[in-house]
Amino acid sequence: MKKQNKRRKLQNKVLRKFLLLAVVLILFIGFMVADRYINGAMDNYQTTAYSYTKSTAELIDGDKIAGYLETGEKDEYYNEIQEIMSIYRENTDIQEFCVFVPEENDYVYIWDIVAQGEASDLLEREKYREDEKEFAFSVFKQNPTEELKLFNDPTYGNIATAYSPVYDSQGKAVAVVGVGIYLTDLQENMGKFLGVVLLTILVVISIAMLLFYRFVKKRIVKPINTIRDASTSIVENLENEEPIQVSVNTGDEIEELFDSFKQMYGDVREYIHELGAVTAEKERIGAELDVAKHIQASMLPCIFPAFPDRKEIDIFASMDPAKEVGGDFYDFFMVDERHLAIVMADVSGKGVPAALFMVIGKTLIKDHTTPGRDLGKVFTEVNNLLCESNSEEMFITAFEGVLDLVTGEFVYVNAGHEMPFICKAGGDFEPYKIRHGFVLAGMEDMKYRAGSMTLEPGDKIFQYTDGVTEATNTQDELYGMERLGAILNKVKDKTPDEILPCVKEDIDRFVGEADQFDDITMLCLEYKEKMELKEEDEK
Amino acid sequence: MTIEQIVNATELTVKVAGRLDTTTAPELETFLKQSIEGVEKLILDFSELEYLSSAGLRILLTTQKAMNKQGEMIIKNINETINEIFEVTGFIDILTVE
Repeated sequence: MKKQNKRRKLQNKVLRKFLLLAVVLILFIGFMVADRYINGAMDNYQTTAYSYTKSTAELIDGDKIAGYLETGEKDEYYNEIQEIMSIYRENTDIQEFCVFVPEENDYVYIWDIVAQGEASDLLEREKYREDEKEFAFSVFKQNPTEELKLFNDPTYGNIATAYSPVYDSQGKAVAVVGVGIYLTDLQENMGKFLGVVLLTILVVISIAMLLFYRFVKKRIVKPINTIRDASTSIVENLENEEPIQVSVNTGDEIEELFDSFKQMYGDVREYIHELGAVTAEKERIGAELDVAKHIQASMLPCIFPAFPDRKEIDIFASMDPAKEVGGDFYDFFMVDERHLAIVMADVSGKGVPAALFMVIGKTLIKDHTTPGRDLGKVFTEVNNLLCESNSEEMFITAFEGVLDLVTGEFVYVNAGHEMPFICKAGGDFEPYKIRHGFVLAGMEDMKYRAGSMTLEPGDKIFQYTDGVTEATNTQDELYGMERLGAILNKVKDKTPDEILPCVKEDIDRFVGEADQFDDITMLCLEYKEKMELKEEDEK
Repeated sequence: MTIEQIVNATELTVKVAGRLDTTTAPELETFLKQSIEGVEKLILDFSELEYLSSAGLRILLTTQKAMNKQGEMIIKNINETINEIFEVTGFIDILTVE
């Protein structure tokens, strides 16, 4: 139904415009034809009427009039004139043909030739109609105008009247020759003529309208509907990958429109294909990156408490990755029964290359950390191995420490990593100045040397990556060592698994709305009590 | 970050201003890769460098290695923060800082 209505709309619009045009045309033509017809007829009557009045006026001997007025007797001459005027009247459109003498109140007929039985006789008087008197006297003046005057008669309707003066031998106007033409016939004839003309116009316009209506329907509305139907089902067709099966062959702009629509359809189809492929590829990569992120995260020890049967130590660590896979990692493991190793490292760069390099680094460090081995040598060897497989010129800043649970001796090595914070039992967290070595994988044959210190029961060590100190807020300020030290000391009496969330919270508060650019990785170890060596030996 | 350069025969001075971090590092990397060909003395002026991240360090390392083969690289006018970064990361040992 809706489709039908829509189609009719356009056709009806055209039809309405056409009707309006037809009405205007008919009115205009009708008016013009009527005007021309009447003017033409009147011009014609005027010429005829005046030619008769003038020739009759010349014919009549003006000197005779006075005699007729006086005596009222007809003579031979009178009858002759009467005869001539009758012939004139019969051969023309003239209905009234008379000669009269205008007087003050009425006029006096001399001759009067009208339809049978209605004629007035000599000296019969008649009252003036309307302005007839002025008109009659006006022709007595010099050079009267030759104009038809219209007078309305109750019996005969409009009468076109012409008057010409009759002069006597002295050149004095003595009577008026009058001619009257009834316009009823003229109006009737004009009505008929106009009717024929208008009917013809109406027929021609109707045929033209019908043809145009059909043309619009066939060449405009139908093709447009075809295009509309094709575009309505475009999504469906795109899904089914069907080409457009209809066609428009009007050979004009509508066909061009259809062609460009077809072109667009093809382009869209191609584009959707490409987009689909690209999206699928992106999704695949995204999914794989997600998997990579998970694998990376699962490589870090994440079950806490990590060593539930070890009452000597309490350890907690966390990594909050930035948006993509990053290169931060931490690690901790028992080297042997009495030695715990902790590692904190950061691979330069981000993304998959950094993550892959991180895996190599983490594996190498753990592999090379064997009981009794000097940590300096561990890093020296790891560095050389990393340099071999470092085509991308990446490097790792790393810190590794090994705690002897029995003696509390903490041996460490640092390859360009941040200083750890140490909190002595009863004291404050303070950055512990240690010797810095060069970053791992930066340059071959670098020598790394281990340092050592002694931890007492109750001491805590906090290590982190630069994602912590370089967390940036919206004003481009860095979080920094001072803020880190402050929050650590605020929560220094808590256990490691309470301290890290507090620090994270403080960083989040500082950063606010700004984006996290780097992984935030932290590790906290508390040395709670010394390990009883005897029990181990007995075991 | 903005980069300015002054070429004097085989000596190239590059002045880096602003922040050299993950987002701006690739620009400097491309620039240096193209510019150091045939340069025997590369001077990096860091007087207006505010911040240097590990991505920036990586460029310094790469460039240092490249310059080791064809001449020397000198870093000038580093501020306290950057000096600290160089010390912490051990870069101070492999770079020539004036």
